[in-house]
Amino acid sequence: MMNLSAKHVLGVAIFLLVIFVGVPLFIAATGRWDFYFTLTSVALLAIASAGVWLTFYIGRINIGQGAFALVGAYVSAILVVKAGWSFWLSLPAAGLFAALVAALLGLPILRLRGVYFAMITLVFTQVATLTALALPITNGAKGITNIPLPSGVSLFGITLIPDFGEIENARMAFYFTACILMVITYATLYRLVNSRLGHLCRSMQQNEELASSIGVNITYIRILIFSISSFFGGIGGAMFGSISQSVYPATFVVKDSVDFMLNCFLGGLGYVFGPMLGTLVIYFGWDLLFEFGKYQLLIYSIILIVVIRFLPDGLLSIRFSKGGKK
Amino acid sequence: MEQILANGVYLGSQYAMIALGLTLIFALMNVLNFAHGQMYVIGGFVTYTLYGQWGIPFVLALLMSCITLAIIGALIEKYLFAPVIKGSSREESTMLLAAGIAFLLDALILLVFGEKQRGVPKIVDGVFNWDFRVIMPYDRILICVLAILSIVAFIALMQYTKTGRALRALAQDRTAAQLMGVNVDRYSMIGFALGALLAGLVGGLLVTITGINLGMGGPTSIKAFMMVMIGGAGVISGAIWGGFILGFLEAFGLAYLSQYGDITYLLIFVSLMIFLAIRPQGLMGKPWG
Amino acid sequence: MSPLLQVKNVTKKYGGLTANNDISFDVSENEILSVIGPNGAGKSTLFKMISSFVPTTSGEVLYRGERISNLKPHMVARKGVVRTFQETTIFKSMTVRESVVVAQHLRAKASLAGYFWGSKTAQQDVDSFGRYADELLAFLGMTAISDELASNLPQGNLRALGIAIGLATDPKVLLLDEPFAGMNHDETMRMVDLVRSVRDERGVTVMLVEHDMPAVMKISDRIVVLNFGEKIAEGTPSEIQNNEKVIEAYLGSADDEIGM
Repeated sequence: MMNLSAKHVLGVAIFLLVIFVGVPLFIAATGRWDFYFTLTSVALLAIASAGVWLTFYIGRINIGQGAFALVGAYVSAILVVKAGWSFWLSLPAAGLFAALVAALLGLPILRLRGVYFAMITLVFTQVATLTALALPITNGAKGITNIPLPSGVSLFGITLIPDFGEIENARMAFYFTACILMVITYATLYRLVNSRLGHLCRSMQQNEELASSIGVNITYIRILIFSISSFFGGIGGAMFGSISQSVYPATFVVKDSVDFMLNCFLGGLGYVFGPMLGTLVIYFGWDLLFEFGKYQLLIYSIILIVVIRFLPDGLLSIRFSKGGKK
Repeated sequence: MEQILANGVYLGSQYAMIALGLTLIFALMNVLNFAHGQMYVIGGFVTYTLYGQWGIPFVLALLMSCITLAIIGALIEKYLFAPVIKGSSREESTMLLAAGIAFLLDALILLVFGEKQRGVPKIVDGVFNWDFRVIMPYDRILICVLAILSIVAFIALMQYTKTGRALRALAQDRTAAQLMGVNVDRYSMIGFALGALLAGLVGGLLVTITGINLGMGGPTSIKAFMMVMIGGAGVISGAIWGGFILGFLEAFGLAYLSQYGDITYLLIFVSLMIFLAIRPQGLMGKPWG
Repeated sequence: MSPLLQVKNVTKKYGGLTANNDISFDVSENEILSVIGPNGAGKSTLFKMISSFVPTTSGEVLYRGERISNLKPHMVARKGVVRTFQETTIFKSMTVRESVVVAQHLRAKASLAGYFWGSKTAQQDVDSFGRYADELLAFLGMTAISDELASNLPQGNLRALGIAIGLATDPKVLLLDEPFAGMNHDETMRMVDLVRSVRDERGVTVMLVEHDMPAVMKISDRIVVLNFGEKIAEGTPSEIQNNEKVIEAYLGSADDEIGM
């Protein structure tokens, strides 16, 4: 599993080159600075979608990622604004808190399967929004605003991360940060899926009874995977809050949870990089359809239905069925 | 206290009807119909347009809501769900499709009816007042009675007609039903149409009280999911229980908890989680549905 | 010699129905013991209680003196008591070899994190899993189908795959759930040889539930007979063949699958 083929390495190298060099050059050349914000959002949503994909890998349809993104966004915002933490510390804290919530929630609900699990995670998204409205610490409907930009980090006088408030182009800095996080997330996901934990997940996805008969602690692995999945959601959400410098109960709602799920489906559940592609296509597709004004949602939903109807295994299944391999 | 119970019955009767439609579709096709709330909204808008705008009698408008939704449901089943179910082995595909349809219906509602909140004139005036212990407007009582009658009619349909027996056979075991000579394709379509019809009927009933707007679709679906989980997915008695339980919980919550803000649903959800931890199949469901 | 597996006064009630009533017997090391009985005698409930897939109402199951009933199923497997399933319970979209590799989970020396980072121990594990899988499949005569998807296999091979998955966990006791069900005579005889060689060459103690009488007579060292949830006899195949109660139980039942 560790021996990546030359083709793999080349593919990854081209991908990294495109996102870290190609895109900035393209933006500098065309002057479309707004692309930075769009692509940063795509990267962050792709991180959260990666988490949803991972829960699919243990055979659970997760429509609750919006809730974990919201939890992450609030935890980071509260730590930065009210406790004065550095954003860079609050980021892992947000992920860990989301993972903790997932572990507690997962204990009862991960026993459910199929439609039941899907329904309850969907309901949980709604509840997260309601909780944010009700709790004093989240400041109700007003939300938390004026979140300062991430501060700098230096070690022994060497600046590791510059203060985002002082650099000229915070958009580009956010773009790079989001891309680095996304690359780490997908590298982690790839390793995880191709290591023993991934194999155990696959065995559980296909038959939980048989998996437990060969000694797999299915309860533990379900909770572990759901926590990792929500960790990604929390990180994505926290970063999102920091970029928009505000969090509201409506920052992530049921629609977002459904979108995360759609990203995974559309990209293809059989492919680790499916959710990344799905997120990109859905986000850009939606933006492109903006031209159609009030027909935007209509055309979007029709395209979506047509894709599901004719490509039930996702977009990546097109090139894979032709024998190509990423 | 009597007031709360009366509110509970009123809410529960509406909810039970929504849950019945959802659970019927689930039982027949193992499809989680995300678009159920949107179907409810369409039902509301049809009645609004016919009764509120064009002045057609309420009962006829209500009937048109039912017919419209039955047609929409049948078309969706025949041209979207049936082919997708045949073409893919994953149950996820149908869920994705349902989400796509929810978006599509939202888009259509937006284009046809707009995004404004709409209401209709009261169908009956006056308020029932029993010694200030129970106060309830007559139109609410009427709607509640109509809802309960519809539920009874639905149960009678399922129990005593040929269609109902075929649908029940189909819900229990698709393959066995096919072997017994039930036309599976046809009854799947009928069942879906019937589920959609129920959603449209509630929409048409409730537009007279709460009005209707585009944004009501999603939250309605979510409530329906909760009711179905409480009662047990795919079980008719479970949907009715689930509907009334949620109705009563909400009535009690609004009465006692509203001063603490919007925490009723939070508590309902937490209770639901504890309940499901003990009984994952819901009140009436078979283990693992 | 103290028994390896002890079933002590095990009872299972579902509501008012008693599926198993006060069943006791021992399984010694290196023995093949079969539990038989007409349909509805409570064999499969007993089987599930021994593998802890359902809890007992009262009584307990001991393995080397340690209680294994009412634990989580994976804990029982970890102690070395592993069950198989009938053919529909497989990893459908894995190949035969992949299934056997993943089933060696309990033999892993490296931690999950070790696998994630690709530690040296993990690398050695992966190599050893592959080697052992090949060896095991050769032993079971399944080398030719090792790269087939499980969902594409015919029924007979699925049963063997189930046993391969069970064996891959390196069990001390293998519990087989109706290993001969639905097999013709030749297939049954091949399976009998296979189960024997599992015991003889791998030192695995075997307990099975089954209603194919001739196969059970051929394969078992000892037999326990259940009827209506009660144990009615226990002994060697020849003792069981001549036991009046057993004959009565089987003659009294209209089960045509018994073939006695």
